[in-house]
Amino acid sequence: METGRPLFIPVILGTARMGRMSLHAARFVTTELGKSAGVETDLIDIAQLPLPTNDAGEAIKHADFSAKMNRADALVVVSPEYNHGYSGLLKHVLDSCLKEYIHKAVGIVGVSAGPFGGTRVIQNLLPVMREIGLVTIFWDVNFSNVQKVFAEDGKLLDESYIRRIDKFLKELIWMAKTLRQGREHVSLD
Amino acid sequence: MANSEKMMCPSCRVEMNHHCDKVAYTTDPQHGGQMDPNLGGFIEEFHTCPKCGCGAARPA
Repeated sequence: METGRPLFIPVILGTARMGRMSLHAARFVTTELGKSAGVETDLIDIAQLPLPTNDAGEAIKHADFSAKMNRADALVVVSPEYNHGYSGLLKHVLDSCLKEYIHKAVGIVGVSAGPFGGTRVIQNLLPVMREIGLVTIFWDVNFSNVQKVFAEDGKLLDESYIRRIDKFLKELIWMAKTLRQGREHVSLD
Repeated sequence: MANSEKMMCPSCRVEMNHHCDKVAYTTDPQHGGQMDPNLGGFIEEFHTCPKCGCGAARPA
């Protein structure tokens, strides 16, 4: 059942480091997502979220981030791979919500300077996503050797990523529609 | 025990759909009374409004 409400699928940029190449990947994903009919998106840069670090979880919930997660039908998480893992700040931000994520789809985009394209960070993020109630799709996007994929100004140098991201987004949008139907109309009782 | 009262959307005033229960583990003493000793935590219910899509949660 289509409700007429557009899907809202924000993109979370999961690093705050200076010189982060993941910014180019996140902007690219946001642009491609914005071309999809019936989809609204927004780029959420975790570097711009003023979350305290002397507490965690729901105690530090950020009103605007929480509202966006509540409105979202699905998420894209763009994460660089740092020593095989994700940034501590990304986990800190994700942990600040829970009810906002339940039964919503998530797709993960891995970014690395090496040849593996964030494969290991994606694997490490999967159990986190599951525990916070998100439903992972089986398509990933791996930006390998990211310094060769984007120019310094962010221009895409490797056009093969357009087809890769298209497959990923189609799966994500299907899951977003399906899970919206489930959340709104299929009862647990 | 599940909360049998229907949750209403605060914006649309329509019945929300109960689509998920999740166990939450906490050391927060304010949840002590809702703790299920068999599960080691307390159950939260998650509901979504079929009209506007907003979500809400409450202890089961």
